[in-house]
Amino acid sequence: MLIDYFNAFPYTTSDIISSLSLSLLTLLLYQGAAWLQQKCQFIWLNPMLLTIVFLVPFLLYSQIDYQSYRQATQFIHALLEPATVALGFPLYQQIKTIKRHWQQLISLLALGVIIVITLSFVATMLLIHQTDIAIALSLKSVTTPIGIALTEQLSGDSSITPFAIIIAGFSGALLGPSWLRLLNVHSKIATGLAIGAASHVIGSIILTKQNASMGAYSSVALILSAVLTAFMAPLLIPLLIALFT
Amino acid sequence: MKNILYTAIAIGFCLGLGKLVNFYFTGLPSSLYGMIFYCLLLQLSWLNPEKISQANYWVIKNMGVCFVPAAVGVINHFDLLKHHGFTIVLSIFFTTFVLLTFVGLAAERYLTDPDEHSN
Repeated sequence: MLIDYFNAFPYTTSDIISSLSLSLLTLLLYQGAAWLQQKCQFIWLNPMLLTIVFLVPFLLYSQIDYQSYRQATQFIHALLEPATVALGFPLYQQIKTIKRHWQQLISLLALGVIIVITLSFVATMLLIHQTDIAIALSLKSVTTPIGIALTEQLSGDSSITPFAIIIAGFSGALLGPSWLRLLNVHSKIATGLAIGAASHVIGSIILTKQNASMGAYSSVALILSAVLTAFMAPLLIPLLIALFT
Repeated sequence: MKNILYTAIAIGFCLGLGKLVNFYFTGLPSSLYGMIFYCLLLQLSWLNPEKISQANYWVIKNMGVCFVPAAVGVINHFDLLKHHGFTIVLSIFFTTFVLLTFVGLAAERYLTDPDEHSN
């Protein structure tokens, strides 16, 4: 019986060792990158970005294809679900601010979500003509776990989503405040909401360092935008896909 | 240790509820239903925020590692990036700044308190 069980088990010892080594390598690289960022206090040293920058050449050099890597690290990917649930805590912490302005906040951010999804989807379809990439790019203004979960649910290419999210994060966070001042937007609430809606967590971190109050508004916008995107994207994106097919 | 276990059970329970709702109603991904349940249980004081805060902060601080396996998939898209990389980055920049402009101007117009200016 025991022998039958081991024969039926789909993984060999070398599969298990390779899976453990790749998972361990990913975790160690990430921890190393996080340590480096903490030491240097430089936002561009994003731990996720650095880990990918080191991992991709390593996989290419070792001739490990993506499918094998993905299978080997599936337990890390599976942790994404509980990690997303944990975002309910910051949402709870911002409930008071949301309650105070809920009508204006929801209508403004919902309109923002519709604009950014539609514009990104249409632009990508017109320029690249690939639906899976258009879905991934249209979900770039939300925080990564929600962006990935929605991209996978809507059959988009979830490998493009994190990159798009990082670019949106850094561009808005670093150039956004100057851009908003140029537009004569000076209030803390408007600056915070705009950066949070467009540049999610990265924007929030950078803004919090400059001004705690702006950072708080920014986290309200990033959480509300994520929730609104989660509700609206599954309705809006199929409509946009139908428009192009 | 007790608080870590409490947080893990709370997150697991909410995720389980989320999976149940997703199974019967689909719509959102189960993790997002779970997130809403988690927030709801905290708001209803069924979960103790003080017990949760520390372990929850650790989870959020380290959650970036969970995105790595998906993001490494870019390895399969070198051709796409070679041909359309510039277009993709330009499109991301453009749409991000459209969103910034819209939310910034609208919030300045409709949400600003007169005494709440940063300068």
